[in-house]
Amino acid sequence: MIKDLKVSYFLALKAITRGNKGTLILTVLILALSFINLSFIPSLLSGVVDSMNKQSVNNLFANIIIEPGEDETYIKRVSNLQSKINSVPGVIGSSAHYDVGAVFSYDEDRNGKDVKTGSWGVRSINLEDEKRITTTYQMVVEGEYLEEGNRDKIIIGKEISGTYGSELEHRSLKGVKVGDELTLTFNNGIQREYEVKGIFNSKNVQVDTMAFITEREMESVLKLNDRASEIIVKIEQTGEEDRYIEKFRSMGIVKEEIKSWTEYMGMAQSMIKSFAIVKLILVAIGLLVAAITIFIVIFVNVVNRRKQIGILKAIGMREEIIVRSYILQSFFYAVCGVGLGFILMNFLIVPYFIAYPLSFPFGLVNLIVNPRDLFVSSLSLIVASLIGGFIPSWRAAKESIINAIWGS
Amino acid sequence: MIIKAKNLTRTYPTKIPCLALKGVDFSIKQGEFTAIMGRSGCGKSTLLHQLGLLDIPTTGELFIDETNILKLSEAEKSHFRLKKLGYVFQEYALSPELTALESVYLPLMLQGTGKEEYLAKAAEVLGKVGLDKRLNHLPGELSGGEQQRVAVARAIVNNPKILFADEPCANLDSESSDLVMKLFQELNQKLGQTIVMVTHEPEDKKYAGHIIWLKDGLLEREEK
Repeated sequence: MIKDLKVSYFLALKAITRGNKGTLILTVLILALSFINLSFIPSLLSGVVDSMNKQSVNNLFANIIIEPGEDETYIKRVSNLQSKINSVPGVIGSSAHYDVGAVFSYDEDRNGKDVKTGSWGVRSINLEDEKRITTTYQMVVEGEYLEEGNRDKIIIGKEISGTYGSELEHRSLKGVKVGDELTLTFNNGIQREYEVKGIFNSKNVQVDTMAFITEREMESVLKLNDRASEIIVKIEQTGEEDRYIEKFRSMGIVKEEIKSWTEYMGMAQSMIKSFAIVKLILVAIGLLVAAITIFIVIFVNVVNRRKQIGILKAIGMREEIIVRSYILQSFFYAVCGVGLGFILMNFLIVPYFIAYPLSFPFGLVNLIVNPRDLFVSSLSLIVASLIGGFIPSWRAAKESIINAIWGS
Repeated sequence: MIIKAKNLTRTYPTKIPCLALKGVDFSIKQGEFTAIMGRSGCGKSTLLHQLGLLDIPTTGELFIDETNILKLSEAEKSHFRLKKLGYVFQEYALSPELTALESVYLPLMLQGTGKEEYLAKAAEVLGKVGLDKRLNHLPGELSGGEQQRVAVARAIVNNPKILFADEPCANLDSESSDLVMKLFQELNQKLGQTIVMVTHEPEDKKYAGHIIWLKDGLLEREEK
């Protein structure tokens, strides 16, 4: 067995080192591209999912969302509730919001003509709490973030201002700038004027269609105190939400609805499921292409060496030694292709997308290379190559010596 | 007898079955230089293929070195070819990626011979065929005659019981042909190598001690 393996290795080595270098380079290059093709789409989809998740956790829902119980509009005794929540080890913090709808009016020339209007959600924030939970304060692209005591100030997303590459510019206020006055008519009929203090761009449409005012201002609009539409909670370890939800319930927070951020990802979840199917199909096609490529390379190689194979059999070489030598060649091509693909992927393509991320409506997307996906791609490509190398060489080795040498 | 053929036939299963050998009986003694001769299409190569285990007779019996060849499995035939038979083909048939030395030591590698031994043996045999200065040359760097001598060296390196040659000089110029034929003669006369050669060159008769004449798939006559 070892003796046979040595002969197979010897034949494969000579074919590789003394064969056509152009064919060798081309084959390795094709396999490297097949590897990149197999890895790129899963990495991109992982990047999309990761970006959606990060945006949701960092700017929208945090990890856990507490909402009013059934038949309740607001959560009551919010301060007390937040103290309880914040005392749980592993909780980074919590932030209470009032979420209210309002009609925004923008009279650019202050003459009552050509007034632009639109409806968006307004969220109140406790500045100190909010900074521990979300990253919106880091995304102000013009003006400044809110400060304690700001009562007639508002910060708005770029989708409301209609600036900074707004994706929904047609529905925006078309050109609001910092310092402009906006009139907000809240759902309860109260109308107030605010000066735009800042415009933020989180690159997530859902966040950028919101406006923020201070908690104190919202409470004066709603004539409420110590209540909230929701409390969002950030924990140290994403993925441990269920454990914390259980903990909160055991602490007596039972009237309120407590949910994990993932439950708010309905559309995103269905997208993620679709991505998984798309990923599977693309990987299967990529593998098939790789297997066919190596099949063609080995097939052409074998056709050109049909006579050699016949001669080798004539001098007493068994079929399996010949087949094994071609499988070893395929293995070499595959390993080199995977190696080159890995280098290109990790040292060229991924760094490029980190420097120039893709812009999606839910945020910027990098390629996330999952080691498991990479391993599966590598292994699948090697197996596909071995199969692609085995079939033509096995067929050629099975041919009768007479047919192989003299052809018929 | 090293080869004994009884009523050997070979029919190719084409649309109209082609009866290439119609029942051939003959024997070849160990150490004989046998030439199989006859006109084109008489069945010379077909007969050599049966004797050399490259093809399977349709009917008949074939004993080589007292082994009933028709009862061997494919793996046993491979082993038999490796251990007991050597071949020289018309068109050199060398692997373009193997040097002369590598081509010659390949059968020894297959037998499991140690590296030092197979390197020494292959170099020695290449020396015998006059190629001791061309050991590390690839086929593309050798002339037709040199390539055929490498093929001869490869065929004899494992000391086969029988050396088969299928028109070994068909593609060679007269000088190279003479060299190869003299090499065969030397192998036969000095080492007692049994040689079975197909040829259509009348002048090759002088090297053979036993001639089998075929005509239309039948044994026409034997000359000794």
